[in-house]
Amino acid sequence: MRALKKTPLNKVHHDLKARMMDFAGWELPAWYTSILEEHKAVRTGAGIFDVSDMGRVWVTGRQAGDFLDRVLTRRAQQLEAGSSHLSLMCLEDGGILDDLWLFRMNSNRYLIVWNAANVEQKLNWLARWSEANPDVNIEDVSADTAMVAVQGPAVADLKLLDSVSNLPRFGHAASKLAGLDVLVAWTGYTGEDGFEIMAPAADATRLWEVFIEQGVTPCGLGARDSLRLEAGMLLCGQDMDADTNPFEAGLGWLVDLDRGDFVGRRALVEIRSAGVKRKLVGFRVDGREIARSGYPIVVSGEEEGRVTSGGQAPTLGINIGLGYVPAELSTIGTRIEIMIRNKPVPAHVVDKRFYSKGG
Amino acid sequence: MNPKEYRYTKEHEWLCPEEGKKAKMGLANYAQTQLGDIVFLDLPSPGTQVEQFKKMGEVESVKAVSDLFSPTSGKVMEINQSAVDEPKLVNEDPYGAGWLVRIELSDPAELDALMNVDAYNKYEAEALAEGAE
Repeated sequence: MRALKKTPLNKVHHDLKARMMDFAGWELPAWYTSILEEHKAVRTGAGIFDVSDMGRVWVTGRQAGDFLDRVLTRRAQQLEAGSSHLSLMCLEDGGILDDLWLFRMNSNRYLIVWNAANVEQKLNWLARWSEANPDVNIEDVSADTAMVAVQGPAVADLKLLDSVSNLPRFGHAASKLAGLDVLVAWTGYTGEDGFEIMAPAADATRLWEVFIEQGVTPCGLGARDSLRLEAGMLLCGQDMDADTNPFEAGLGWLVDLDRGDFVGRRALVEIRSAGVKRKLVGFRVDGREIARSGYPIVVSGEEEGRVTSGGQAPTLGINIGLGYVPAELSTIGTRIEIMIRNKPVPAHVVDKRFYSKGG
Repeated sequence: MNPKEYRYTKEHEWLCPEEGKKAKMGLANYAQTQLGDIVFLDLPSPGTQVEQFKKMGEVESVKAVSDLFSPTSGKVMEINQSAVDEPKLVNEDPYGAGWLVRIELSDPAELDALMNVDAYNKYEAEALAEGAE
C-alpha cells in the first residue's frame, strides 16, 4: 500500500481511536464511535470534521480575477470581497475537472478550496492556463494549513464564534478564535448551518480542542458522506467527473454562459443547445435493500444507467441514491429498479434534495 | 470477550456447537467493530445447503458490503429474524442476541478446522496490531 498523507490532526484521530481509512491518498477517520451517531450529532447538535484533505490554493495578483474568470464556469469577479461561491473547473470538452469553493478576499486575492483528488493534475491545469496572465501567482498552501468544518444546528450556540456569528451565508472573515488566527467561512457540506475554519497547521490541534471542549462531536468521513448524500450534494469523482458535463449532473446553475470566453464554454454552449441525453437523478429504494455506487439501474430488464452514490438516509429512515438515467426517465415518480445482488429491487425517482433543513 | 466454548474462522465468524449436530453462527466482535454500524443482513433461506468457508450471505454496514462465510457445511435450519429486522443487534451483542444462522452440521469433524478461543484470541490480537500500524 502506498504511504498515506497525514493531516495535521492525524495524531488527534489516532488518540481518539478512530477507525482510519484511505481517502484520495489521505489517512482520515472513517468514524470515531459510529457513523450513525455522528450523522445524528450533526443533524441535531454539532459535529466537527477534519477537512484538511481538501486542497487550499491562493490565487493572487493583479490579473487573478481575469484568470479565474477564464478557468472557472462562474464569474469570479462577480463575487464581492468577503463572499464565496461554489464553482466548477471544466475541461475544454465541458467535462468536469472539479467542483470548488472560491473565496474572494479583495480585488486581487482569491482562495480556492477544492477536493483532495487529482491535485497535481489540477495545479498543472491552472499553471497551463495562467501562462496568458503573467501577473497571477498560484500558491498551494494545503500542507501548511489545516481546515475543520463545524456543522449543525447547535453551532450558533458555540462560544468563540460570536465575532463571526453575523456572517452572512457564504460570507467569510479573517478572525481570532481562542487566540488563533483563522479564516472562518459560513460554508459546509452537510445540509446544516455551520462554519469551515482554516488555520495554520501548527494550530490545528488547539483549534480542534476549542470545539471538543464545548461538547462538539468528532465526525468522520462516513458521516461526511451520508450527510452530504442526504442533502443531495454531489461528490466529484463519484457523482460527476471528466466524462460528465455540468448540465447532465444538474449543475447548470454553476455555468454562466452569458459572458466572455472561458475554458469549456464553446462545448458547454453546444451541449446546452443540443439538450442532455442523460441526467443525474435522486431515487428512493422502496424496500430495505441498500443501493451502492456502481450498481446497475434497470428498467424493463434493460440497463439504463448506474448508481453513483447510495446508502441509508439515517435522518429519514429510508434508502436513497443518486445515479444517471436517460433524460426521459428522469421525471420525479418514474419507476426504476436497482440491481442489488443480481436481483432487481424496485425504486423510484425523487427530488435529489432528500433532506432539507427545517423541513 | 470472545466466548471460550465457541469456535472461530479466519474471516472472524464464530460457531457455537449445540446439542444434536446443530450449531449457531454469527460475527465475531472484531468483525462488527471493523464493519461499524450494521444496517442490512442478507442471510440464506432455511433449507439452503451451505459449505464450510464458502460465501453464504452478505453483511452491510453503513460504509460497505462484506461477504459472510459459513464456518461449517450443512443445512440452514433457521435465521435470526430479530437481527434481520434490527441489524444493530449484531453490533450490540455479536455473541448473543446478534447471532445470525442456525445450521445442521453435515460433518461435525469439520469443527477441527476452526480455531479454539486461545488460537483466535491470538489471531485477533495480531489483526488488531496490524490495523493499528
